[in-house]
Amino acid sequence: MTTTPSPAQVTPRSALWGALLGAIGVGAIAGLVLAVATDAGVRSAFDASLGDDRPSAIMAVLDGFGIILPVFVLGFGLIAVRLALGVARRDVGATRSARDAVTWLALLGAVVTVARLVQGTPWIAATPSPLLAVVGGALGPAVATAVAALLRRGLARAARAPGLREEPLVKREARTAWSLLVPALLILLLVAARPLETTIITSFTDKVFASDEVPNFVGVAHYRRLLTLSFVEVPCRLGDDGACARSNRGGIRWQPLPRELLVEGYRTAWHWNLPLLTAPDRAIAVNALDHIWIRSIWVTLVFTISSVSLELLLGLFIALTVHSEFRGRGAMRAVMLIPWAIPTVVSARLWELMLKDTTAGVLNRGLMLVGAIETPQSWLTTPALQLPSAIMIDVWKTSPFMALLLLAGLQVIPKELYESARVDGASRFREFVSITLPLLRPAIAVALIFRTLDALRVFDLLNVLFGRSLHSVSTYNYQVLINNQQAGYASAVGVLIFFLIFGFAVAYVRLLGVNRS
Amino acid sequence: MSGSGWKASLRRLPFYLVVALIVVYALTPFIWALSTSFKTEDDLFGAARLFPRDPTTKNYVYVLGDAGFMSSLVNSVIVAGGSSLLALTAGSLAAYALGRLRFRGKTPMLYAVLAMTMFPQISILSGLYLTVRELNIYGTQAAMLFAYPLFTLPFSTWVLTSFFRGLPREIEEAAIVDGATTAQILARILLPLTVPALVTTGLLTFIVSWNEYLLARSFTVTNPSAQTVPVAMAQFAGIVEQQEPIAEIMAAAMIVTLPLVVLVLVFQQRIAAGLTAGSVKG
Repeated sequence: MTTTPSPAQVTPRSALWGALLGAIGVGAIAGLVLAVATDAGVRSAFDASLGDDRPSAIMAVLDGFGIILPVFVLGFGLIAVRLALGVARRDVGATRSARDAVTWLALLGAVVTVARLVQGTPWIAATPSPLLAVVGGALGPAVATAVAALLRRGLARAARAPGLREEPLVKREARTAWSLLVPALLILLLVAARPLETTIITSFTDKVFASDEVPNFVGVAHYRRLLTLSFVEVPCRLGDDGACARSNRGGIRWQPLPRELLVEGYRTAWHWNLPLLTAPDRAIAVNALDHIWIRSIWVTLVFTISSVSLELLLGLFIALTVHSEFRGRGAMRAVMLIPWAIPTVVSARLWELMLKDTTAGVLNRGLMLVGAIETPQSWLTTPALQLPSAIMIDVWKTSPFMALLLLAGLQVIPKELYESARVDGASRFREFVSITLPLLRPAIAVALIFRTLDALRVFDLLNVLFGRSLHSVSTYNYQVLINNQQAGYASAVGVLIFFLIFGFAVAYVRLLGVNRS
Repeated sequence: MSGSGWKASLRRLPFYLVVALIVVYALTPFIWALSTSFKTEDDLFGAARLFPRDPTTKNYVYVLGDAGFMSSLVNSVIVAGGSSLLALTAGSLAAYALGRLRFRGKTPMLYAVLAMTMFPQISILSGLYLTVRELNIYGTQAAMLFAYPLFTLPFSTWVLTSFFRGLPREIEEAAIVDGATTAQILARILLPLTVPALVTTGLLTFIVSWNEYLLARSFTVTNPSAQTVPVAMAQFAGIVEQQEPIAEIMAAAMIVTLPLVVLVLVFQQRIAAGLTAGSVKG
């Protein structure tokens, strides 16, 4: 390449690389069309012999491919063709963009090749296949990688060829930036965007696992079932003495729901017996078509609000204590990190041991020694004690973490403020209220947001401690998806959880006026 | 004031009592489990006592001989190590772009990354489950390696961006003038400077992946040989409360936790800094 061709001229070399790139682009689009056309689900949509059982073609495409991936492949193909024309015209920007794109393509091919090879090995055995099949599966990606690597070399040379017009620095920087973002964006496309899309699409269908059939569109049926509530006032059951009968746990026993509600599928999530709203012998029954779900929302909200507020108080207390200068602060910080670092599953099991329902349980023994309780309590199986126990464990695990976040906030408050306050003779309490709290507000807000969003998706703790006897929204979603294999219904649950958490996030930003930029 | 050392100490006594209380509060379950892991069967069912009556190491011997538990340790190392490396690689490239380069669309990208760090994974559990099945990696360690960037990548990107931003700009300007390429700048100048940040971020993503339970459990229900440590721990004797091998469970818990405790003790300052950079700064 010692000759210096004039810039606007198409040279055989650049035409070759351009043609190869164009072919890749066209090939991507053709591959997409071919994949859709040969998909079993899509074909069954056009299978006349199925008659009225034929699935809808739109549903078949949405179920098999979604929207994001086809649009992505289509966009990639079109951009590749456009860049190919630019390469052939010896446009420097297009050549460099093409070089960067093909670099990532080659790396992607290499990753897929390695993944295919590793997939057949015994320790990651998705399909424990004989050697030949493994190598065969890796052959396609390997060839593609080689082609991409070859093309990359050609493009890199073309981009360095003498006589090219130099690009403005700003453009070069922007191209580099986007190129560096490619792997992260690609990963997030695959692990976040595509699953999110699948969840949303599936939530409108009756999809179940272990079935290859194209699911039916059911509209908002799942959402209607999840969100339908009915409130009825019910009187209590009368005992022999004419007063309200009580169950052996001490709660009032209420009359069952009216028959027509039961027939429609309503079950009571819980009874409201509030002094101001209802007479003492009446309660409002909160009924739902899926009462376990409605109850799980309530459990999640109670868990979140009580544990986060307790954590904030305790965390603030710990942070203020640790903030002052003393020997062993480093060790103290390590101690505070330990509950956070222990896997939640493990700490749930540690607490399971401490909360044992006999005198072997250290909490029971301790409380009995001080005389707070007379007999051992079964903290984890008594319904009224389950949620408080879970909250207690969560507070233990995360208050030190909360304290750590608040400590960072405390450390940026200028010391001079306290000095001048002391000169003015302000009391410690006064200092706290008028200096520490206002200046700590941003740190508190951020810590609150993080912890709240975290607490709303509580899963590990409840799953390990209670199995299926106490559900949060997350454990309920898990049960519907993994145990019942109802993909459609579980997806609708997921979407609702997303909105629940999103609602909290928005409310926080509004209420606390967090400005994080 | 200066001469009365013991008097000053005495005045600080309530303070040290509070500190001691916090330490006890944070460590009690851990110490209790440690003691239980050395207890014999008889000791377990008697009234609770802190020190084992006749300490035994048989629980540890049992756990270390348990093939299922040992394979879960290996799986966890593969999954947590692999996903941390992946997150560090993709994350540091993205963070370099977001923290040091100027381009249109940077601010929306930053917000997108921040939003992703708070994304509720549970809400796309069913989509992830379907995707993992489509890719034919369901029930393997690859499923976790595939899915964990969902939370490790946004986190590492966010933390590393704030580190990259803190470096003085003159460093690369000099290199650009000398005609260095982006790859050279990144590999020879910036990466060495960010090694501490990479170590911190790697540690945090490692701990978070090591502790992850929801996805690991969902993806390995049908294949116990791919289970990670938390799943194995949760199922060590099933969730049903009868005849549980408690002492063995606690021995397993100690084996799983000790590496983390050591990491925390050694790197406490960095971990704390990284955690607060991930949430407070920005």
